[in-house]
Amino acid sequence: MPGSPQRATRRTHGIILFFVSFVTFVSFVAAGGDLRAGGQQQALTAPADTAAVESGRELFVNQCGFCHGPNARGGSGGPDLTRSQMVQEDENGRQLGEFLHVGRPDRGMPRFDLAEAQVKDVAAFLHAAIYLNSNRRLYKILDIVVGDPKAGEAYFKGAGKCASCHSTTGDLKGIGAKYEPVALQGRFLLPRGRPPGQSGPPTPAYLEKTAIQATVTLPSGGSVTGGIVRLTDFEVTIYDKGTGRIRSWLRNGDAPKVTMTDPLQAHVDQLAKWTDDDMHNMTAYLVNLK
Amino acid sequence: MSTQAAQRTRRVQGTRRKAPDGVLLLCVLCLAGVQLTRAQIPTDAWPTYHGDYTGRRYSTLKQINTSNVKNLTLAWVYRLNLSRTGAIVGGEGPDTPPSGGTPAIKSTPLMINGNLYFSVPDHVWSIDARTGRELWHFAWKTRGGDHIGNRGVGILDNWLYFLTPDNFFVSLDAATGKERWHHEIASMKREYFSTNAPMIVGRQVIIGVGGDALDIPGYLESRDPESGNLVWRWNTTPRAGEPGAASWPNEDAMAHGGGMPWIPGTYDPELNLYYLGTGNPQPVLTGRSREGDNLYTCTIVALNPNTGKMVWHYQVTPHDTHDWDAAQTPILIDGDFNGRPRKMVAQASRNGHYFLLDRATGEHLVTKPMIDSINWTKGINAKGQPAHSPAKDASVPGTLVSPDTSGATNWPPPSFSPDTGLLYVGTRQAYSVMYLTDTDERPQGWAAAERGVGVVGNALKAIDYRTGNVKWSRSLALGPTGSQGGPMGLLSTAGGLLFGNDGGGNFVAYDAATGKPLWHAGLGTNTSNGPQTYVLDGRQHIVVGAGDTLYAFVLQP
Repeated sequence: MPGSPQRATRRTHGIILFFVSFVTFVSFVAAGGDLRAGGQQQALTAPADTAAVESGRELFVNQCGFCHGPNARGGSGGPDLTRSQMVQEDENGRQLGEFLHVGRPDRGMPRFDLAEAQVKDVAAFLHAAIYLNSNRRLYKILDIVVGDPKAGEAYFKGAGKCASCHSTTGDLKGIGAKYEPVALQGRFLLPRGRPPGQSGPPTPAYLEKTAIQATVTLPSGGSVTGGIVRLTDFEVTIYDKGTGRIRSWLRNGDAPKVTMTDPLQAHVDQLAKWTDDDMHNMTAYLVNLK
Repeated sequence: MSTQAAQRTRRVQGTRRKAPDGVLLLCVLCLAGVQLTRAQIPTDAWPTYHGDYTGRRYSTLKQINTSNVKNLTLAWVYRLNLSRTGAIVGGEGPDTPPSGGTPAIKSTPLMINGNLYFSVPDHVWSIDARTGRELWHFAWKTRGGDHIGNRGVGILDNWLYFLTPDNFFVSLDAATGKERWHHEIASMKREYFSTNAPMIVGRQVIIGVGGDALDIPGYLESRDPESGNLVWRWNTTPRAGEPGAASWPNEDAMAHGGGMPWIPGTYDPELNLYYLGTGNPQPVLTGRSREGDNLYTCTIVALNPNTGKMVWHYQVTPHDTHDWDAAQTPILIDGDFNGRPRKMVAQASRNGHYFLLDRATGEHLVTKPMIDSINWTKGINAKGQPAHSPAKDASVPGTLVSPDTSGATNWPPPSFSPDTGLLYVGTRQAYSVMYLTDTDERPQGWAAAERGVGVVGNALKAIDYRTGNVKWSRSLALGPTGSQGGPMGLLSTAGGLLFGNDGGGNFVAYDAATGKPLWHAGLGTNTSNGPQTYVLDGRQHIVVGAGDTLYAFVLQP
């Protein structure tokens, strides 16, 4: 049904989606992101010729989309081509072209007479779709603000006991303007470390006011308190705010005595109590504090 | 001595001048299968990934023990030499190596005839176990692929086997490092990458593929040690009409259902069963297109190593939606259970639960949560399986899940001591929010994004194998943002010791009975592989990798 309004809309939507994904990728690379960080390193690479991908998409949607779906994941009768071994192993349209030239008439797949350049474009589109499926660093989190802000407010003031430490007119004033919803959701769950979006060079986590604190009681009777750099069975190392120095002591059993306080203990304890609904409601409530 | 064995002996002798002939012959015979059939690590060698076939990583050595371990001292250090200068170079990729940081040693070195053999992605070394000096270095020109890690090498007779990130099964001459052949075992274009350490069972070389970026099927293979040709292949998910197919909605889902055999298995020569923990199903973080239990993913399976046919299976996570593969070592335990001796297999699993099964039949014996923060089950079902709670699947607005995708534990090898009856495992308690990003009715790949929330308490735990109860637990190091470390390679010994780390960059010898630390070395980096031990020249060595460096420790003379 080429040219049907519904098809045209879907196509436009698809193009926009792809464009957004690709822009995300480009900005990720431009920002100096390390694709190896976080454990995923890929054999597949981003499409080099985006014009070919777009041209291939149009061809695909018009000629293949009815059976294989506009996103190539399968449609009315045709299999998912992004999972097809033949497509995945295709080299620049060569194997795809050989296949299309013959088709699979016994299974309802007619042969297609496409020009070599067209086959290459369709292949470029399919390889781009496979690449976007495979690279989870490019996945885009959708709209997460679905909760009930009134229920979130009630939880804030009631069961969540948030109001015993926080105020929406005080420390949380304008919090909804400060963070994107995903970052905000992460921050109210556990606001550990440096808040996102801050300028300047990164600073060590033990300098943050949310860092876990240790008090070391010295043999002389005095004590030193500061953000924990490292506490093991064999040493305690803290940042001594008084002198601005990192100080360490070797430990032998319980000597010297070390006591710890976590400024975020209430948040840590709350992690086991959150329901996902409460969490979504809280997000909906806090994003409105602009 | 057969002519062939004599030739092998001479060949091996060429690089091992110090050892007397008799010892060499004995060792060659050992490697030909005599010693490997024993369910115990030899004292003068570490011939396979786990040291023996049981996966216990328990050594009968006790020269180093609870009373003298305080005198343990550094023997040598080997820092990875990645340079191709002076190396034997193979591979089909470009001359320029891929960019990226220095790899960590995740392989457990093999120790045979005084030489250590170990690997990182694209590299294999043989070093002198006496001195830590390099004997040869083999560097592979890669075509790419995920270089996340390599678990090590396998050796049969004088031939070494390993896998590359770009999916080649490679054989080298163990004496010289010269390449004998390489075979491609999987397609990079489908995002397969290979990390496994080949396991030698009889005359079979058992290898597995990896990969989880696309929805591809997992398989385990046996390869001929001489030619490298395929002997059998076991698909970790069924095909249409095969047993287990009913646990998938359709042919497409099961044929793209993942289940990677990431980690070497264990073997019981008496039962002739090979035990393997399989990986998670695909797509990873959503089950929308794969309703059902998704056999045989996240499953402990027993295979006949001669045929590759499955004899029994037990699924530790039906319908996983959190990336919790069951690749953790299935440890073989012979001992008492409810008043009678039994042959068992235990797993401290990534989904946060400890499992004990009868290893002859697969009969379920024990399931017990290992960590406190688990929030994703509806409890334990009648079969002893954690019951999947659909409410804790990734969702568009986010689902708070513990453990996170890295799990309560992970691939680093745990240990079991028959002396204490305790299974030792490094555990981690983390929360993350999982966001469904792919709402298509045919989601692909991971289909969701994860945002870490925090880590609330990692510990080294000693679990009573009969009950799953935690006998002792030791909190790991604390940093400014919470608990550090977690999963770690472990080794227990008849000297009453447990070697592991503390999450804070120390290599530690713990009292295996109580968890009390008795000795430590501040390596500055957490150990990154399974520690191992052997006696060489009458001295017990402890060898461990931490990041890019391998360390050997001995008692001060």
